Amino acid sequence: MIFDFVHRSLRSPSVLVPVEELIANSLGSRMPDARAEALTDAIARRVVDACAFSALAIDGGDEHMTLSLDYGSCTGCGECIAAGEGAFHLANIVPCGVSRQALIRRWDVALGIDVTADEAAVNATANEIRSIVGGALNIRQVDGGSCNGCEAEIAALSNPYYDLERFGIHFVASPKHADMLLVTGPITRNMAEAVKRTYEATPAPKLVVAVGVCGCSGGIFAGTPEVLGGVDSVIHVDAYIPGCPPTPAMLLTGILHALRRQKPKVL
Amino acid sequence: MTTNPTSRTVEGTTDNALRLLEGGNARLVAIFGNVDPIGAKRVYYIVDVNREYRRISVPVIGAIPSATRITPAAAWHERELHEQYGIEIEGHPDLRPLFSHSDDYPFLQVQGDGVCELPVGPVHAGIIEPGHFRFSVVGDSILHLEPRLFYTHKGTEKLFEGVPVMNGTALAESVSGDNCFAHVVAYCQSIENAFGISVPPRGRAIRLLGLELERMVAHIGDIGALCGDVGCAVPAAYNSRIKESLLLASARFFGTRYWRGIAIPGGVRRDLSAENARAFGIVIAQAAADFAEMARIILDTPSVLNRFETTGVLSNKIARDLAVVGPAARASGVQLDLRRDHPYGHYRNITVEIPHFTQGDVLARARMRIEETRVSARLIQDALNGLAAGIIRTPVPSDGSAEGFSAVESPRGELLYSIGIRNGCIARCHIKSPSFQNWPCLSFAVEGNITADFPLINKSFNLSYSGCDR
Repeated sequence: MIFDFVHRSLRSPSVLVPVEELIANSLGSRMPDARAEALTDAIARRVVDACAFSALAIDGGDEHMTLSLDYGSCTGCGECIAAGEGAFHLANIVPCGVSRQALIRRWDVALGIDVTADEAAVNATANEIRSIVGGALNIRQVDGGSCNGCEAEIAALSNPYYDLERFGIHFVASPKHADMLLVTGPITRNMAEAVKRTYEATPAPKLVVAVGVCGCSGGIFAGTPEVLGGVDSVIHVDAYIPGCPPTPAMLLTGILHALRRQKPKVL
Repeated sequence: MTTNPTSRTVEGTTDNALRLLEGGNARLVAIFGNVDPIGAKRVYYIVDVNREYRRISVPVIGAIPSATRITPAAAWHERELHEQYGIEIEGHPDLRPLFSHSDDYPFLQVQGDGVCELPVGPVHAGIIEPGHFRFSVVGDSILHLEPRLFYTHKGTEKLFEGVPVMNGTALAESVSGDNCFAHVVAYCQSIENAFGISVPPRGRAIRLLGLELERMVAHIGDIGALCGDVGCAVPAAYNSRIKESLLLASARFFGTRYWRGIAIPGGVRRDLSAENARAFGIVIAQAAADFAEMARIILDTPSVLNRFETTGVLSNKIARDLAVVGPAARASGVQLDLRRDHPYGHYRNITVEIPHFTQGDVLARARMRIEETRVSARLIQDALNGLAAGIIRTPVPSDGSAEGFSAVESPRGELLYSIGIRNGCIARCHIKSPSFQNWPCLSFAVEGNITADFPLINKSFNLSYSGCDR
């Protein structure tokens, strides 16, 4: 009975993943990335055609073509990797940002270089995370109309592999207890009012993090009359975590990124 | 074998459909509408008669008689039909809108001394989906529960329209995220049935791996959550650990935690090397053994049994009347599992052991999940051991017009896609999710229980909001 449980857990080795392995680990996210030096005009055009979600786009015409990839619209379907003749591969970086613009990566196709305006690189040790979090961070998760894929991954943050509680990060039941709202989308017409009211019920200072490609932009649901768009179509958003769904490692990285960039405002 | 031998479509009248439903051994699967390009309306009835799917296509001009008078299972289907297609349904007892929300929604009022209304949601206290529950209670006892859902309605079926058949997979994967592989396989099979395409044996076997893994992940997660709901924290944490070990193995061997981006009409996109198949088998065996031991201890713990036993009973009669599907039905003595009764893909080549219970309480639904996890682990091992060599995918025509439907036994039960294709693009896609069918039965299962047991009972059904709302 209850002693069996205790016995069972005591003799199982810890599975806790060290922070260094978690931060910026994109395994299983399916997010793509380009090898800038391998890009050609033809490949750029082909991957743009292959993308059914308009996440990839070409700017600048034939003389000076740049290719952009908006992670805030990318579902990770893998068509660009299939069409990219080796110039596209699974990402090793975890995209996240404090603005929608920060989710867009750009490559100069002719020069074969990455021309993304650089975001601060995300890495951290457990002690740094504790100091950023400041001992306790209370998060209220709000589903604004998601498919529940993001919820499954957010719930996984509490399992013994990721154990968010080790940093003092808790999920709370009421927005009134929250420092941060983790909001998934797309925001449906039927949930818009509830999301706004949850935001209003959260005491200031507060941070809002939009989660998942649908939370960032409305994703594949953008444009239907039943959906208003991403989380920022109804409330102010402080940071964006893309992914379909984002993996627990991406979520943790994104939450830390949001905190680090917003800290002066929070204090 | 080109199309599913246990399914056929006939042109008919509403009377044909209703007569079929009146007969014995008939189970309503779905009712849905369609408007063709010239504006003519049609209603489709899908009925399971003696383990054979019959789809009746009915041209509609005026009002149609309600099927709800014959089977209450039709109630929500006809409410949806009425709301979305403006078709009058004669004799339907309740045509309140499901999808369009307004502030003055008339909830059923329970009257009498001491009756209070308890509103809960749409935002719930936890990492779960949104929906509203209106309880009518006396003290702690629930007299009536009326769920008001469709907060996550995204117009998904409409979004499918005009999408080339090969590009619809991402949308199918985003109907209900935790059952995304069952959804995308049902989507792919419908297209394969429509075009008369057969998936290579290796592709079918890899799909089975994903479907059974998804069931294991869902059931292990559910058992953990049920323990969490009765304050039994250690097995709750331990089950979340077993579940994560399976997701990590998926990421390692298939590049995706929840099997997104794997299925495609005609087969699968990702193969498995012999070495990875062996390594994957070891992870499955370890997870199954860990879970079996954990389950044995859980079922041996009086404080858990005390909360699970006789709680939230779904009677066999209600389960049949409401055409409940999946583990919830099998826990209430309904013999229905598509893997045996309407086999598809690799399930046509194998025999699946189908556990079933009759008590219909939280304990029976928990035991269903424990038993099914054991069976799923064995099905995965068998499939890995006998993995056929060869290609994993066949080409699908990029043009052409056809209609097809297909159902999959998802972790929550019968999940059906019915798809019309015009010039290589989706013209109409209807999704009958197990949650849409099962939500109404929750009101009956909670009746007479105390409100404090509601989260436990709700979790024991584990219905998807997004899958229902679409």
